Amino acid sequence: MDIVLLHPSHIPHVQTCNITNLPENYFAKYYLYHALTWPQLSYVAIDLSKPSRSPHDPPKIVGYVLAKMEEEPVDGIPHGHITSLSVMRTHRRLGLAEKLMRQSQKAMVETFGAKYVSLHVRVSNKAALRLYKDTLQFEVEKVESKYYADGEDAFSMKQNLDFIWDAVKKEEAQFKKEDKKAEGEEKEGAPTGTGDEDEGDPVGDEGQEDKKPKEVMRKVKIGRALGVSDLVEKVEQPKASS
Amino acid sequence: MPSQQPLASKEASLFRNVLKFYETKQYKKGLKAAEQILKKNPKHGETLAMKGLLINCQGKTEEAFQIAKEALKQDMKSHVCWHVYGLLYRSQKNFDEAIKAYKMALRFEPDSQQILRDLALLQVQMRDYNGYIESRRLMVMSKPQIRQNWTGLAIAYHLAGNLSEAENVLTKYEETLKQPPPKTDLENSEAILYKNYIIGETGDYQKALDHLESISRIAVDKVAILEARAEYNLKLGNNEAAEKAYRVLLERNPEKRLYYTGLEKSLGVEGEERLKIYEELAEQYPRADAPKRIPLDFQEGDAFKSVAQKYLDWRLKRAAPSTFTSLKALYGDVAKRETLESLVDEFLAKTREEKPVENGENLTNGSSTPNNSVLIYTLYYLSQHHDHWRIRNTEKALSYINEALELAPDNADQGELRLGLARILKHAGDVRKAMEEMDNARQKDKSDRYYNTKCSKYMLRNDCNEEAINTMSLFTRNDVNGPLGDLLEMQCVWYITEDGESYVRQGKLGLALKRFHAVYKIFEDWTDDQFDFHSFSLRKGMIRAYIEMVRWEDSLWSHPFFRRAAVNAIKLYLLLNDKPHLAHGSLANGTGDDAVDFESLSTADRKKAMKKAKREAQKQEKAAAEAAAKAKDERKGGEEKKQDDDPLGAKLAQTTEPLEKALVWLKPLLEFSPTFLEGQTAGFDVYMKRRKYLLALKCLLAAHNIAPEDPVVHEQIVRFQNFLNSKPELSPTVKSIIDETFTLTPKEGSLAEFNEAYLSSHADSPRAAFSVVKARQALGASEGAELETLVFEALKKEGATLKDAVDGLALIKEIKGDVGRYTEEARQRWTKANVFEVKA
Repeated sequence: MDIVLLHPSHIPHVQTCNITNLPENYFAKYYLYHALTWPQLSYVAIDLSKPSRSPHDPPKIVGYVLAKMEEEPVDGIPHGHITSLSVMRTHRRLGLAEKLMRQSQKAMVETFGAKYVSLHVRVSNKAALRLYKDTLQFEVEKVESKYYADGEDAFSMKQNLDFIWDAVKKEEAQFKKEDKKAEGEEKEGAPTGTGDEDEGDPVGDEGQEDKKPKEVMRKVKIGRALGVSDLVEKVEQPKASS
Repeated sequence: MPSQQPLASKEASLFRNVLKFYETKQYKKGLKAAEQILKKNPKHGETLAMKGLLINCQGKTEEAFQIAKEALKQDMKSHVCWHVYGLLYRSQKNFDEAIKAYKMALRFEPDSQQILRDLALLQVQMRDYNGYIESRRLMVMSKPQIRQNWTGLAIAYHLAGNLSEAENVLTKYEETLKQPPPKTDLENSEAILYKNYIIGETGDYQKALDHLESISRIAVDKVAILEARAEYNLKLGNNEAAEKAYRVLLERNPEKRLYYTGLEKSLGVEGEERLKIYEELAEQYPRADAPKRIPLDFQEGDAFKSVAQKYLDWRLKRAAPSTFTSLKALYGDVAKRETLESLVDEFLAKTREEKPVENGENLTNGSSTPNNSVLIYTLYYLSQHHDHWRIRNTEKALSYINEALELAPDNADQGELRLGLARILKHAGDVRKAMEEMDNARQKDKSDRYYNTKCSKYMLRNDCNEEAINTMSLFTRNDVNGPLGDLLEMQCVWYITEDGESYVRQGKLGLALKRFHAVYKIFEDWTDDQFDFHSFSLRKGMIRAYIEMVRWEDSLWSHPFFRRAAVNAIKLYLLLNDKPHLAHGSLANGTGDDAVDFESLSTADRKKAMKKAKREAQKQEKAAAEAAAKAKDERKGGEEKKQDDDPLGAKLAQTTEPLEKALVWLKPLLEFSPTFLEGQTAGFDVYMKRRKYLLALKCLLAAHNIAPEDPVVHEQIVRFQNFLNSKPELSPTVKSIIDETFTLTPKEGSLAEFNEAYLSSHADSPRAAFSVVKARQALGASEGAELETLVFEALKKEGATLKDAVDGLALIKEIKGDVGRYTEEARQRWTKANVFEVKA
């Protein structure tokens, strides 16, 4: 398994991975919108079990995290948001979800100055809840009533990103020190940032957010044909109304 | 230039309202206002144009074009009329005509930024880079203070391949800045990284590296900087710096192979030392898979055994279901896969010893103990191992998975294991039982869509299309377009393709074509998707990602999803070209077993059969229409969607020009996937039928280049030479080109001998035997019985797969051989395969 940044060419297979695992699905343009607005934030896990038939063949995707920054945060604090995350059942218990999430979170801090990251999860989705709570250390912020198109409630979850800020600051201090010394030092990796917890529980393949605002569902159905800016507004609607 | 037809002040203000209504998408109000103006000034061109535009927004395209043409007639020199004309063409995706119209509009209104922008967007969409450069240049000149305009011009040069000019443009803008923008300026951060990306592409790595270091403290995309630093240093031979950079990257992400290869190169390590590097890294990153797994790729013999053992120990002890997947890539190497098998066998024996398997009764209550899961997933590994296509010992695979299933108490593991069981059955050809087992797995956890998806897929493999869509519908949104509509909307390519292939198996060619065309449509949509990003990305400033997107779009149609649908569609169109009766109702079952043997019927009987088929088709269509109407009623209040007037694809199948339709698929296949063998061989078939012999030859030569020994290529060589031997009437130029380039058959000896020589040099290959049979048929050289013998022999060859056997069955039918005996013999070898079952 390779963990790499989401590239536009991955999108058809990411889309397949998503619709294979999760009930909340999106057309390709919505993935493109993520990849072209916050290109640093989304990551994919690539299956290396088959050598590709030709060098141009796109790799098979077995997991992904689709992430964004909240564009107009209600609380005024810059923060990231996980639009969708999933790992194929065949690739569970490898800690992929966590590995994907950590890459995304680090970039949220470094590139966009995010203070925390949020996400939604179906209240019935025990496996995802365990992943976010126990493995990834998210906390339940509140319950959003009837968040999903089918009327189910969502847990709104949050994780503070201070632990990454600390690591980033340490790294920067280290780099500055190195700059001063210029060279001649022994090779030595940067100090460990993310504490690598034990992966413990089976890593779930769920966790998502409904991009389809309940009230205007039908408009979203023709969303692919809309311009990107329309897409953005539609996406922001559930936030504003909740 | 002002309009040729000035309006009175009241009308002029109404006209401004029309524009406003259009921009705010209030089309009805806009139309009303336009009509008001036209009442007084029925020949006012610009108002007419706007009316056309508004009517187009309501979906009445034909009428819109009429009005817009009338508008132009009234006011040829109005930029509004031309702009509208262009917008109409754009809405029809006729971008070439739209560009022409915009250019006319610009001639009359050279300063309009709006028209210029619209033109520029079309130019980049159409990859008219020279035109794009020109439009972007005009935009910079008119508003040089806006950074976006400079970036846009740089993009135009960059995409056109003029790297130095692209860099120059970016530099020129930077020089106008009095002081550097703050670190929080994301647009700046990305713009300077974009410049570095361009310099990197020139291949001047020293310059790129120097520039990178000058911006590394300002740009906020840390990964991009680190990766570029590592890459440039490696390319420049600054190994120490490269090593350092790769180590920093590995610290961030120890699961990216590229970093490991980079580190290896920078260290220049070989042999023992190479392994040592990985051992160190594995210690440094205990949770990472890569440093433990990579040495298995390069170690051999005993050294392999030692690293493989460590890796297996680590993985199997964690009871992860994916251990086999992680190692599958090594299975091409016989020695390695044998070593892996014996290691897992040993591990299994040890695990059994550590904790003897308890009686079933002790295990039924509660979840499996950790030790038991280790045992279960070790058995699971072995079941997958023996099911691997290079080994394919179904009995062994089944015995391991069944043992695992017995050990697993009724919990999540059961689902996982049933999935494995179903997969083994599918590989053995028992698609019916596979489907049942997959449904069992699904029942274990109905809230898990993964099970639901796989279950639907297996239903399709068993040609239970109705059950499949019903299963899918448990997770689709069914209120607007129904489950299938939702899957189309959500671009669920895998389902659409599998559904289509199932219809091919059932001889329902119309429905099959319908599905493959839906895949085509998705690719068209993906092509259109980029349009909005040409402007959006400039606003957002994420230019590198945008460039990557454009380049991906340029090769989009080479995607395997498209290739698979295309090969299917071309085959169907070729079939329909040869046997158009297959497009009609029950006759379409021609590939099924209970097919009427249409071709052996008398003319009168053919007519009768055709009539009957048409009657049945009408009945089916009526039923489908009624079902659709009913479904619509049930979704009351749902948005009115355009009615599908061909839900069963009958019109698609009844095309009068199947070969032209095949070309629609073939062209992108040949253009974007020139090294795709099946595309070239399909091209040969299509072009031969179209009597385009040079194009056919081109495909044949390309195919031969890709796979000179491929059976299909061999058969096509024979067919082509046979065609030449028939002394066809060809123009002298065509003839001389063929003589010059087609040298794949020997000058000495007959074609039949050439064919037989191929047979004896590929004695192990069933596919080679099939192709020789087909070639012999084309040559008309041998008796039916001889052909049949060859097919039967192929069935017994050691390497024959289930797929070969199924292909052989089709061939036996084609040559009118003994189907009964064939299926009987096949059944003895593939005991579980449903295709060889005796029909009750």
